[in-house]
Amino acid sequence: MAEMFKTFRLTRLDKKVRRVKNHAKKRGIMERHKVVTAANRQIKLANKELKKSLLQALTAEEVFDIRMQKALKKYDLKAKWEYRRVNHGFAKKIFEAAKAGDTETERKLLEKNRAEVLALDSKRARFVLRWEEKKSAFVKAGRADESVAEKRRLQFDRQLEEQKAKLSELYEIKSGLAAKNIEQFDARTADKLKALSDKRAAILGRGRTELADDVILSVNNLCMYFGGLHAVDELSFDVKKGEIFGLIGPNGAGKTTVFNCITQFYKPTRGELHFKNKENVTVRLTDYSVHDVVLEGISRTFQNVEVIKEVSVLENLLIAATRFYTASVFEQALHLPILKIEEELIKQKAETVLKLLGLSTYKDWYAFGLPYGVLKKIEIARALMTEPKLIILDEPAAGLNDTETAELAELICRIRKDFECTILLVEHDMSLVMSVCDRVCAISFGKKLALGTPDEIQADKQVQEAYLGVSEEEGESR
Amino acid sequence: MITLQQLSKGLLCNKTQLYGEEKRSRSLRGALKNPLGQYLLFGLILVVLQLVSSLGSEFGIRIIPVSFMTALGSTLIYSMVSIGFCLLLGYSGLASLGTAGFIGIGSYCAFFCFQEWGLPYIVAIMMTLAISIIIGVFVGFISLRIEGIYLAIITLGLSEILRYALQTIRATVNIDLSNIKLFGATIDKEVVFYLIVAVLLILIWITNNLIKSPTGRAMLAMKNSTSAAQAYGISLMKYRLLAFVLSTVYAALAGIMYMMYLRSVSTSMSTLFRLTTSLNILGAVIIGGAKSIWGVLAGTFIVYGLDSMFLQSIPLFNDNPTLITLFTGILIILVVMFYPGGLQQLFTLIRRKVIALAAKRREARYGRDV
Repeated sequence: MAEMFKTFRLTRLDKKVRRVKNHAKKRGIMERHKVVTAANRQIKLANKELKKSLLQALTAEEVFDIRMQKALKKYDLKAKWEYRRVNHGFAKKIFEAAKAGDTETERKLLEKNRAEVLALDSKRARFVLRWEEKKSAFVKAGRADESVAEKRRLQFDRQLEEQKAKLSELYEIKSGLAAKNIEQFDARTADKLKALSDKRAAILGRGRTELADDVILSVNNLCMYFGGLHAVDELSFDVKKGEIFGLIGPNGAGKTTVFNCITQFYKPTRGELHFKNKENVTVRLTDYSVHDVVLEGISRTFQNVEVIKEVSVLENLLIAATRFYTASVFEQALHLPILKIEEELIKQKAETVLKLLGLSTYKDWYAFGLPYGVLKKIEIARALMTEPKLIILDEPAAGLNDTETAELAELICRIRKDFECTILLVEHDMSLVMSVCDRVCAISFGKKLALGTPDEIQADKQVQEAYLGVSEEEGESR
Repeated sequence: MITLQQLSKGLLCNKTQLYGEEKRSRSLRGALKNPLGQYLLFGLILVVLQLVSSLGSEFGIRIIPVSFMTALGSTLIYSMVSIGFCLLLGYSGLASLGTAGFIGIGSYCAFFCFQEWGLPYIVAIMMTLAISIIIGVFVGFISLRIEGIYLAIITLGLSEILRYALQTIRATVNIDLSNIKLFGATIDKEVVFYLIVAVLLILIWITNNLIKSPTGRAMLAMKNSTSAAQAYGISLMKYRLLAFVLSTVYAALAGIMYMMYLRSVSTSMSTLFRLTTSLNILGAVIIGGAKSIWGVLAGTFIVYGLDSMFLQSIPLFNDNPTLITLFTGILIILVVMFYPGGLQQLFTLIRRKVIALAAKRREARYGRDV
């Protein structure tokens, strides 16, 4: 009862912490947004003025050139279709003539075609010529004086420099103010957070455990019973920071159950699960509900691919980042600017992740009907979207062929290096486990058999027995 | 020489711009490509229809009969409910059969607030919404722990309980709005029609926004795979409750509008608060395509609007009312059999065909694009 009350208080405290953090994040985004929008508005106004003076500073020739360019562009758009029609009409006839072997008609047709194309060309030339004539007439009339234009251009250059200086000064002042505001607010937020973390420590009391410096996850005497079935029984192991840890075992050994216990899909019957979260605070995972584990820095993939098939690949990644939006439901319903900004930022992040995994081509594809290897990669990309400290991969190589598995091994190593996270994986494919993992834990029927480097595990008698069975002679000698 | 591009690009480049600016086209055609513009056009057409009808009746010309407008109004009211239900079924994957009960709550609240207590209309509407939210949260908390067909059964039971409760409170409700003024105008049928259009447009806009925001995606994730949703921090209860409460609020708003538009309901006689309504709404959403707002509007039109607006004026159908049910029934069967994605799927297929045909014609005329 006391334990339940403690968990309840902790949950409420966590909610409060999240709210404070979200508020600070939102405030920061909005302050910066304000500066940017104000600057953009100023730029727009300045541009309007500058454009006007630039138009005045143009010489008569230049003014006319611009008009001519516009007219020509329009003409070309129209003429494209004419050219196409002429060519197509003749192409069919010429082809038929060539097929029949009638060289005479073919030659005639070709000539005719060339003549028509030439006619179109000359039409365009005439059009250009007309404009040139107009231009010369205009320039001769001397509507704009060269020297005046030169003077105005100098004036324009000066104006441009002035505006640039003014705007950059303005921007600096404003962004400085915003930075100051944000700083003040951050300081207040930090105070609040500190008070909350003190409160948290008080709730936890003296009995809390601190993990060693290099350990990120510790599983201690974990038990998971389904009625009479002991799926996991007194299992304990530590995962060190930055390593790739493999969990192996024959079918039904309870590997996935261990994962489900870590991510709180199952509440373990007994045992302790400690994890060092994003702020390097040791937390007890059993205090969290399933959907809050991801915020502490654990993300996972699934054995049977659970990609959302109704949305595009990019949106799949955005779904993974749902908890990283600070916009409330109300703000989402009205599509306020905060949502648009956050959407843009998170989309950029998703695109970088997709690029890293080489999925950029599939960005806008629907996940429905994509090949299995790609779906597996999407799962990993999704896991990376949550800024994880620990990634749990549940049989990442299942259903992949040898080259794909080799690629995956390389990818896993790259992820560890680029994202500085720890990786915990369950696998059947021994080649992957042995090539990638730093340490391996072998389990059978929920009990730990051995833990060590891949070589040690391979040499271990008990593990061999669990996988291959006991040979007859050995069985008799026992 | 200064080129055209230099001029059009702008002279000071926006270095301070951190986020891509939204591309907004100022032309009418661009506005119509934007969903918001399309919804506004839809609203405009409805308003123009009502204007033409009322102008016609003023001058004694029968261009659009009043009965047609009444049928259109009630179809729009039902489409409010359908849009809420689309959020529930199409996005969250929850099948509820309690819609009718929530319409009932809206109607009765409107009746008591306007008629019995004489509250100002803003307070009345706010109160109705508050009551419907409270009831929605309460019912949701009980029933949303269960999924699938069992949820449908539970909500069906709750809806029936609500109906009986309402019936025992008062068997028939008649509302008299003559002494209430909305922005200084007496509330007659025409004004209520405009109000319905406005509320419907607001609801469509909100739904459209939600669908395209993280909330809508979270709901879709929940519908497709609960475990993946949970693993990525989507609380099932929160989003289910959100969808449920939203659909409740939409239904309650429809109830208020129904009460204001048609003025009286006899609970013991009419089928409004019965299972039939819930099933009709479910049918409308499935026919239209549960994930598209236009589809849902079309589905509601087929289920509710088609017979009362058009078929009843044909003598054959008018003489045999059962034929109408038969006709819509067969239509539903055909749609569901051949286009399981609803009318939405049919429309996209037709659109794709038309575009392909246009491309082919262009090619035949001008040759292949080289």
